Amino acid sequence: MRTLPGITLLGLLAAASAHAAEPPATGTDACLMLNNRVLGPRTKDRPLPLMVRDAAQAFHYACSASWSTLSPNNAPLPVLECFRGTLLQVANGSACGKDSRPLWVSSRWVLTSADLQQPVTRVAVCQQLETGAWAGTRDFSVECAERAAAKPAPLAAPKTSTSASPVPETTPH
Amino acid sequence: MQSLLLAATALFLLNFNALGTATGSRRFSQDLTYAWFGNQAWLYPRNGAVAGATPKAVVVMIDEPALALRGARWPVPLAFHAEFLAELAVLRPRAIMLDFLLIDPAPAADTCAFLSVASDLKKGGTPLYLAVTRLEDLGVLDQAGCRDAAGNALLADQVLTPVAVRKQVDGADFVNRLYPFEALSADARPGAGLPSAAIRMYCDAQHSPDACIARLTQSVIADGGFELAWSPQGDPFNQRWSHVACNEISSPSRAILNQPVLPRESPCPPLPTLFASAILDPTADATLGEQNEQLFGLVEGAYVFVGGNFRGSGDLMITPMHTLLPGIYYHAAALENLLAFDGRPKVRKEFRDSKLGFYIYDLVVLWLLAAIFQWRQRRVDDGQPGAEGPFHLSPSARARLEQLAARIPTPLWVLAVVVVLVLLAAYKFLQLIAVAVAAAVVVVIEFRIASSIEMKARLRAVGLYFLALGLSLGVIALAIWIGYRWLMLPPGDWIGYLSFAAFGFFVAHTAILEFERRVDELRRSRRVTGETR
Repeated sequence: MRTLPGITLLGLLAAASAHAAEPPATGTDACLMLNNRVLGPRTKDRPLPLMVRDAAQAFHYACSASWSTLSPNNAPLPVLECFRGTLLQVANGSACGKDSRPLWVSSRWVLTSADLQQPVTRVAVCQQLETGAWAGTRDFSVECAERAAAKPAPLAAPKTSTSASPVPETTPH
Repeated sequence: MQSLLLAATALFLLNFNALGTATGSRRFSQDLTYAWFGNQAWLYPRNGAVAGATPKAVVVMIDEPALALRGARWPVPLAFHAEFLAELAVLRPRAIMLDFLLIDPAPAADTCAFLSVASDLKKGGTPLYLAVTRLEDLGVLDQAGCRDAAGNALLADQVLTPVAVRKQVDGADFVNRLYPFEALSADARPGAGLPSAAIRMYCDAQHSPDACIARLTQSVIADGGFELAWSPQGDPFNQRWSHVACNEISSPSRAILNQPVLPRESPCPPLPTLFASAILDPTADATLGEQNEQLFGLVEGAYVFVGGNFRGSGDLMITPMHTLLPGIYYHAAALENLLAFDGRPKVRKEFRDSKLGFYIYDLVVLWLLAAIFQWRQRRVDDGQPGAEGPFHLSPSARARLEQLAARIPTPLWVLAVVVVLVLLAAYKFLQLIAVAVAAAVVVVIEFRIASSIEMKARLRAVGLYFLALGLSLGVIALAIWIGYRWLMLPPGDWIGYLSFAAFGFFVAHTAILEFERRVDELRRSRRVTGETR
């Protein structure tokens, strides 16, 4: 016959094991783990493509450099920041020469300490080819300036409209 | 000589294309051949004589998730193309074709990054081919005034190769089974245009690229193209993302059972396909290997075709299987054809310079079929002079049926026949049943009514008919094989040939006999008139 303390202990153990059985961290979470470091390349010793980020937060190709250029001492490089779990900012801003902006490398091409700690899971690959023939026009992200709204006309007399600001020309596609 | 006349008549009728009616059976013959046997190496040797010896074509699809992984969105910015090509460079493909029109202005820094990556690819032995509508499209990239590390001008035509990407549709059914050799401007002679992507990529890998392009473009008429052989079987690599089995193929028995014989969808394309998001995000496809070994194994040394997979983009092709796929597969499949057939793809006779020879070949084949028909006719006549063909009822059966028909008022049985024919036209499932019932009724009537002599004659005629048909099938198969294997023709119009062997010669023969009879009558009457005078 189980005693009350025994039941309580069992309950506590169950709660602890339930907490430990939580699903592993997602890509982004794993990337931001404490002390995540880039340990080396997964490129068959080929140059790593490196990117920089501009003021508008867009990524641009900077250069391709070998691992030995990125980490001259072959030491693990700390991951300073992550973008969607796939781009890692490394502590090296000089591998591409004069541009001293922080460099980013794709997680496809490097092995990190987070990768080693993650269990290998076979995820379902959810892809499909888009072959639907749609009778609609796809939206373009065209920047345009809105015309200034005309002020409401008074009841007494009609008012002439103000001149609209010019709409910038769009490049025909 | 009569068999030669029959053959010439058949040749004319099979190629009489006043309103595009003849091309239907020709195209359907071709598509069915690939639908049933396109995965067989003897028809379409996609992997070459030795598996793994021939470089393969791999399709890479850029999609919205891939853009999102780099904080970009559609339309694909030039900066993304530069980054993605730099990532592909790690895999050292044999060549890359970028199926995007880069004709919109972009920031100078992004243009220079793109040209710099193209230059690095070229130095590393991976040429980059860029889709253009005309050569002037490259001028947009040169406007940025880019310079390389040494300060020299970095021009687009120095670091990448422009290729034409115009799609050609078959006028009969708008299927993209034709791949143009080049994009020709009006009035230009063959060989003077911009080579299409697959032609350029294939020929650049040959000992003499210019000679290769000249051979392919100048042996056909302007606006000619080659026929795309196509495999109905999906590539096993695609099973990782395709939601259907990649090894299903349409069975020939579907044609017999009056079912659709061409697949409606190809959710598992016949070329290995990677999604850009899987390349950019290791967690998107964890089966590519911890050290990317699967990725390297697939892409290293392969021809990579980079295209878009965007909902509503409109860049689609209708495959020879009558399904839709993104347009990039058009070029990838065309290159695969060139690799499979050693640079000698299948070209229909209408596009050949010396096409008369091919029509004479068709005439010889039809002459053989007509000779088999004549032989069958003589054998039937030897057995019973004046004997009717295999499709005619015996005189006893005909007499009995005429008596039955005479009992029913003509308007009534005409109405009954009309109703039956309308129902058969409206309800497809009734058609096969009707054919089976009609055949069974005829057989029963013949067995019950016809005399034993008539039965023997009928069975002999039917037996000779099927023997002749079997021989004809053998001749057709051999002729199409010779045309396909040695004359580099696409699978021929075997439906047309078979229809003549089965029915057409009977009709043509009857018409010719009637014509000869009338001519003889005229001659006799003129002779009599001459003698009278």
